[in-house]
Amino acid sequence: MKKSLARILFLALALCLVAGGAWAKTLKIGSISPLTGPYAADGTDIKNGVLAAIDAFTAAGGVPGYDKIELDAQDDASCDGKQTVAAANKLASQSGDNKIAGVVGAYCSGATIPASEILDEAGIVMISPGSTAEKVTERGLKYMFRTCGRDDDQSKAVGKFMKDYLKAKTVFIVDDKTTYSQGLADNVEKECKALGLTVIEHDHVNAGDRDFSAVLTKVKSANPDVFYISLQNSSSGGLMVSQAKRVGITSKLVAQDAVFHPQLIDNAKEAAEGMYLTFGFIDENSPAYQSFAKIYSAKYGKIGAYSSYAYDAATALLTAIKNSGSTDAEKIRAELLKMDMPGAAKRIKFKENGDSGSNYIVLVIKGGKFVNFWDPETGKTF
Amino acid sequence: MTRESRRAWLTFAVALGWFFLLLWPLTGIKADGSLTFDQTLAIFWRVAAAAAVLVVFWRLKRKGSFDGAGRGLATARAALARGISVVPAWIWWILLAAGALSYPLLTNRYGQDVAVTVLVYICLGLGLNVVVGLAGLLDLGYIAFYGVGAYTYALLSVNYGLSFWLCLPLAAALAAIAGCIIGYPTLRMRGDYLAIVTLGFGEIVRIILNNWMELTNGPKGIISIPPPSIYVPELEPTLHFVPFELRKITYAYYVILGLAVFTVVAVHRLNFSRIGRAWEAIREDETAAELMGVNTFLLKLLAYAMGAVFGGLAGAFYAARYRFVNPDPFTFIESAMVLAMVVLGGLGSIPGIILGALALIALPEVFRGFELYRMLAFGGAMTVMMLVRPAGLIPAKRMGQRSEERD
Amino acid sequence: MEYFFQQFINGITLGGVYALFALGYTMVYGIIQLINFAHGEFFAAGGYVGVIVLSFLGAHGYMGTHPWLCLAFSLVLTMGYCAMLAMAVEKIAYKPLRRSTRLSVLLSALGMSIFLQNGLMLTQGVYDKAYPTAFVQGGLDIGGVRISIMQLLILGLTAVLLFILNALVFRTRIGKAMRATAQDKVMSALVGINSNRIISLTFAIGAGLAAAAGIMVGLYYGAVRYDMGFVPGVKAFAAAVLGGIGNITGAMLGGFIIGMVEIMAAAYVPHGGEYKDVFAFIILIAVLYFMPTGIMGENVDDTRV
Repeated sequence: MKKSLARILFLALALCLVAGGAWAKTLKIGSISPLTGPYAADGTDIKNGVLAAIDAFTAAGGVPGYDKIELDAQDDASCDGKQTVAAANKLASQSGDNKIAGVVGAYCSGATIPASEILDEAGIVMISPGSTAEKVTERGLKYMFRTCGRDDDQSKAVGKFMKDYLKAKTVFIVDDKTTYSQGLADNVEKECKALGLTVIEHDHVNAGDRDFSAVLTKVKSANPDVFYISLQNSSSGGLMVSQAKRVGITSKLVAQDAVFHPQLIDNAKEAAEGMYLTFGFIDENSPAYQSFAKIYSAKYGKIGAYSSYAYDAATALLTAIKNSGSTDAEKIRAELLKMDMPGAAKRIKFKENGDSGSNYIVLVIKGGKFVNFWDPETGKTF
Repeated sequence: MTRESRRAWLTFAVALGWFFLLLWPLTGIKADGSLTFDQTLAIFWRVAAAAAVLVVFWRLKRKGSFDGAGRGLATARAALARGISVVPAWIWWILLAAGALSYPLLTNRYGQDVAVTVLVYICLGLGLNVVVGLAGLLDLGYIAFYGVGAYTYALLSVNYGLSFWLCLPLAAALAAIAGCIIGYPTLRMRGDYLAIVTLGFGEIVRIILNNWMELTNGPKGIISIPPPSIYVPELEPTLHFVPFELRKITYAYYVILGLAVFTVVAVHRLNFSRIGRAWEAIREDETAAELMGVNTFLLKLLAYAMGAVFGGLAGAFYAARYRFVNPDPFTFIESAMVLAMVVLGGLGSIPGIILGALALIALPEVFRGFELYRMLAFGGAMTVMMLVRPAGLIPAKRMGQRSEERD
Repeated sequence: MEYFFQQFINGITLGGVYALFALGYTMVYGIIQLINFAHGEFFAAGGYVGVIVLSFLGAHGYMGTHPWLCLAFSLVLTMGYCAMLAMAVEKIAYKPLRRSTRLSVLLSALGMSIFLQNGLMLTQGVYDKAYPTAFVQGGLDIGGVRISIMQLLILGLTAVLLFILNALVFRTRIGKAMRATAQDKVMSALVGINSNRIISLTFAIGAGLAAAAGIMVGLYYGAVRYDMGFVPGVKAFAAAVLGGIGNITGAMLGGFIIGMVEIMAAAYVPHGGEYKDVFAFIILIAVLYFMPTGIMGENVDDTRV
C-alpha cells in the first residue's frame, strides 16, 4: 500500500515536471551592451529596443512552440573588452532550456570584435545594432550581422556633403581615440584628401575628457571652414559643442552617428543649433517606425539613437527563429540572408558578409530637434 | 532599557535622519519644481528596516544572547579542525590537485571562463604581492606590466609568428625591464609619493599604448592573435608532429593553471629565501635594513622586476586567451582592483591572495543578476569586508616575534 | 601672442578647478595620511546637487529674476550637503579603521568610491544632466583674447575660497587645532582637542571645496555626469602630491601647475592633445625626482604602507 502510494506520487510528480516543461517553454535571446559606465545611455537604449521588439513580437503571437520570449541582458560595463568577453561567454555557456538563440549587441566596435569571435565559435548568431567599424563584418565570421551602416560609407557621405553642399576648403578633424571614433576620423581624413579638401590638422582628445578648451582654442585660431567632430558618445559631444560655442568658433560643425542622441541637444542646448551630423536614414513616417515608436515610447520613454536599430536587430532575429522553426544558428543564418522586410530604422536585408547596407544622410539640428537635411544619393536637401 | 542600549538606539536614529537628509535631495527634488517623498521613502524604509535588524542583532550579541550558540559553534569548529588535522597534508594536496585538474570536466564554459579570470588575477595579485606585501612599496600602476606582457606576445606573434611558449619568457623579460625603468627613478621616494609616481607611470604606459599608432595600432587594438599551440604526435603516414591550437577555453584553463602554480611556487620560494628576508627587513625599517648591510637599492629594484615578471606572464596569457588586445583594460582602476585583492586577502599571504582574487572576481559575477546594482553592491561589500577584516581574509603569519607584540 | 594668452587663461581656469579639488586631498592626507579615493565622488555629488537645486529654483522662476542669488544659494546648500556626505563616509568607512594599516583604509575608501559613484548613477540616471547656463554666457574681449564669465567666476570663487580657507587654518582656534591634530594626534588629544571632531571637520571642509568645484565645473562645461569625479580626481591627487602633500599652499600651486601643463601641452606640442596626461605625469615625476617630497612639502616621516 505504502509502496504503491509512493509510486503514484512519484509518477504524478514526474508527469508534472514533464508537462510543466512542455507548457512553459521559454525562448531566450541575449543582449550585450554597456549598461553602466560612460556609454550607459546608448547601452540602455539598445536593451530597451530589444525589449520593445520582444513586446511587439509577443503581442503579434510570439514564436510558435514557445509561450514566452525572455531577454538575458548582459552588461559589458563601458565597452570593456574583458567584460564583453565575460558576458559573451556567459551567454554562450547557457545550455538546455536556457540556451540562447541569438544575441543583439554589442555597442562599441572595440567590444563587438572580441565578443563576436566567442559567439561565432559557440555557434550563436550575433546582430550588432551600433558597431560601424569595417572590421566587424570583415573577418569572415559566419554568424556576425549588423543592422547599422559602415564607417567607410559614412565618411564618403560626409565628404561629399562638405565638398558639394558646404563648399568647404579647409577641415579641422578631432576624434577621441576609440576603435570607432578614430577609425571613422581616419576615413574622413582620407576622404577629404581624395576630394581635394585641405585637412588643417587631425587632432585627438582622450575618451572621457571633459575639458576641451585647449583643442578648441586651436580650432578657433585655425579658423577652418568645417570643424569635424568624431566622438564616441553624445555626452562628450554635448560638452564639446557647448564649449566650442563659448570659445567662439564660427566654423560649421559636422559630427557623426555616435553623437546622434537627444542628450546632445539637452546638454548643448542652443549651442547645437545649426550643427550637422550624419546618421542612417530613418523614415519616421513609415508604418514600421510608427508602430515601433508607439510601443517603445509608451514603456521606455525617449527614443534613443540606437533604439530602432536594436529593435530591428531583435525583430530580425526573432523572425528568423520563427520562420526557420529552430534555434540552430545555421538555419537562423539562412533565414536572415533570405529576409527582406521593412524595419523601424531601415529595410532589413542582409548581405552575405552580414552587412545590411548603409544609407547615411546628413541631419541638422534645428529648433531643438534633429531634422533630415541633405541626401548624398541625390545631392539635394530634403 | 539600559543606558548603553538607549545610546545605541539614539545613534541609530541620528544616523537614519542623516541618511534621509543625504538621500532626499537626490531623489526628492524634481526639476519641474515639485518636491516628492515617495521614491525617497521607498528606499529609506528598506534601508531603515535592514539597519534596525542589524542593530537588534548587534545589541543581542553584546548582551550575550548568542553566547550559547557561539560556544556550540566553537566546539564544532574545534572538532572539525581536529578532524582535518588527522588527515595528513599530502591527502589534501592530492584532493586539491584533483579538484583543480578535473574542474573543466565538471563545469560549463562560463564556469571555466570565470575560473580562468580568477587564475589570471591570482598571478597578478601574487606578482603585486612581491612589491607591496614583501618589499612594502605601494604600487598603483602595476597593471602596466600586464599590458607590456600582453602587447609583447601580441606584437611578436602577429608580426614575427613567434610561438606562445617562446614569447612567455620574452614577455616576462620585457616586463622586468619595464619594472626596472619604472623602479629606478622612484627609489628615492617613500610612501605615498611612490604611490602617485607609480600611478603616473601606469597611466603613461596606457596612454602610449593608446597613441603609438605605428606600433600598437592604437585604440583599434590587435586582432587575430594566435592561441598557444602544442605539437602532438601523429602516426599516419609516418610519425610526425602537427601543431595543435589550444583554442578552447578548457585548454586555456590548463595553461593558466600551470602559470598560476608556477607563480605560487615561485613567490613562496622567494618569500622564504634570503632575498625575501631582505625585502621584509626593508619593509619593516628601511634605514635599519641598510645599516645591517642590506643593499636596499638593488633589492628594491629587484622587487619591482620580480613583481613585473609575473604581471608580464599573465599579460602574455591574456593576449593569447582573448586573441585581441587594446589599451582599454590597462587602466588605473584595474591596478586598484589587483591591489584590492592583495590587501583584502592579506598582505604577504599566498592563500589569502588566492582567496582575495576569488572573492573580487566572483563577487561581481554573483551580483551579475542584479544588473544595475552590481557595482553598488560590490563597492559596499568591499568596504564592509575591510571593516570586518582589516588585516585581510587570511593575514600572513609573521616570522618571529616583535617587541611591541610581546605580552 | 593672442593665442598664447587665450591658452593661458584656459590653463589657469583648469588649474583653479584642480586646486579646489586638490585641497580636499591634501587636507585629509595631512591629518590622517589617507588618500581619500571617495573625494572625486564628493565633487560629482556636488555637481549633481547643484544642478538639482538650480533646476528647482529655475522651475519656480527665480532663475530668471535673480540668477546670481540662486547660484550663491545653491552653492551654500551644496557645500553643506557634501560636507554632511563626507562626514557620514568618514564615520562609516574610515573611523573604525583608524588603528589598522593604511592600506586597509585605502581600500575601504576605494570601496566607498565605487559605492557612491554607482549610487549617484542609480538615483540620477546614466545620462548627463545639463546645467542652466544661459546666465553665464558671454564674456570679455580684451584685444582678441576672450575671457568668458564662467572663467572669471571660477577664478574669483577659487580666490575667495582659498582666502577663507587660509584664514580658517592659520588664524582661528579651529585651524590651530587642525594643525595640532595633523602633527600629533595623541598629544593634541592630551591637551584637550577632540581629534575625532577635528578629523570630521577636515573631511567636511575638503568635501565642501570639492562641491564648489563640482558646481563650477558643471556650469563651465554645461553638464555633469555620475563618473565625472574620477579622472580629475587622479589629476588633483597628482597636484596635491606635486605641491607637497599635506601642504595647503602646495596643493594650490600644484593644481595650477598641472592645469597649465595640460593645456599648454595640448596647445603647443604636436599630438599634445592625446599625450597631455603624459606631460602632466612627467612633470610630476621629474619634480619628485629632484624634490622627493614635492615642491613645498616638508620631510615626511618614513611611514610604511
